Amino acid sequence: MKKITRFFGKELWSPYTAGALLGLVAIATVWISDNLLGASGAFENIAGMIGQALAPQQFNNLYFNFIMPPGVTFGVMMLIGLFIGGLIGAATSRTLLWGKPNALNSDEQWKRVFGPQTWKRWLLAFLGAIVLEYAAGIAGGCTSGLAISGGMLLAPAAFVFIAGMFASGILTTLLIYRGRY
Amino acid sequence: MSVLIIALVMGALFGFSLNKAGLTRYSKIVNVFRFTDMAVLQFMMTALIVSMIGLYGLRALGLLQFPNIPGTYLVGNLIGGLIFGVGMALTGY
Repeated sequence: MKKITRFFGKELWSPYTAGALLGLVAIATVWISDNLLGASGAFENIAGMIGQALAPQQFNNLYFNFIMPPGVTFGVMMLIGLFIGGLIGAATSRTLLWGKPNALNSDEQWKRVFGPQTWKRWLLAFLGAIVLEYAAGIAGGCTSGLAISGGMLLAPAAFVFIAGMFASGILTTLLIYRGRY
Repeated sequence: MSVLIIALVMGALFGFSLNKAGLTRYSKIVNVFRFTDMAVLQFMMTALIVSMIGLYGLRALGLLQFPNIPGTYLVGNLIGGLIFGVGMALTGY
């Protein structure tokens, strides 16, 4: 029993252990609900919901009617679950930063590279997230929805996506870090 | 309705595993692009191998059918991936 609590109290598991857990979760999701894991689609479902409430005419198009229907979908619930699961993970290892002084900007490496300002972190996170979501829309999924969920079904799209993601990720990091790479 | 509860539970397990692998941090995501910390790849590839074996095994036993496989549009997938990498390196998501 003590071993189990100590295992769950660890801040970081081996990535192999955590990855195996995700693999089992992915199998269970397909088996029980016939759905794939994913995160980025949910934002489009929510955006569609807000858009149809505010500007129904602009949002009455092919994309939001057929490709990404608005509403509380499987993905939206999964996104809420993701947030809760992350909180539980941090709480079990007592590393939850909620309400702590540096909760809004906690990554030391980020501060060394971009500076200590919190607004900068949030601005870049917001702009970067727009880039991410836009790219996920073009590609048909994100790291979880396409790379992992597609990859496990051996979809060619997933491997093309992973190749592109690493190529430009390495290049961008090289530009940002320059001498510190 | 019950499908949405399954989604919530599976999402929570998904988030939990991401947190325990440390992938909720900027540094873990970016360091894979600097080749100083391979946790992202170790995590992703383990998940892929486990789920691949499980899904193909279950299908061979006739216990499940595959859902819609994500479509292949090589140009879209590649360009999407290229833009995605930029966002990933900037934000660490």
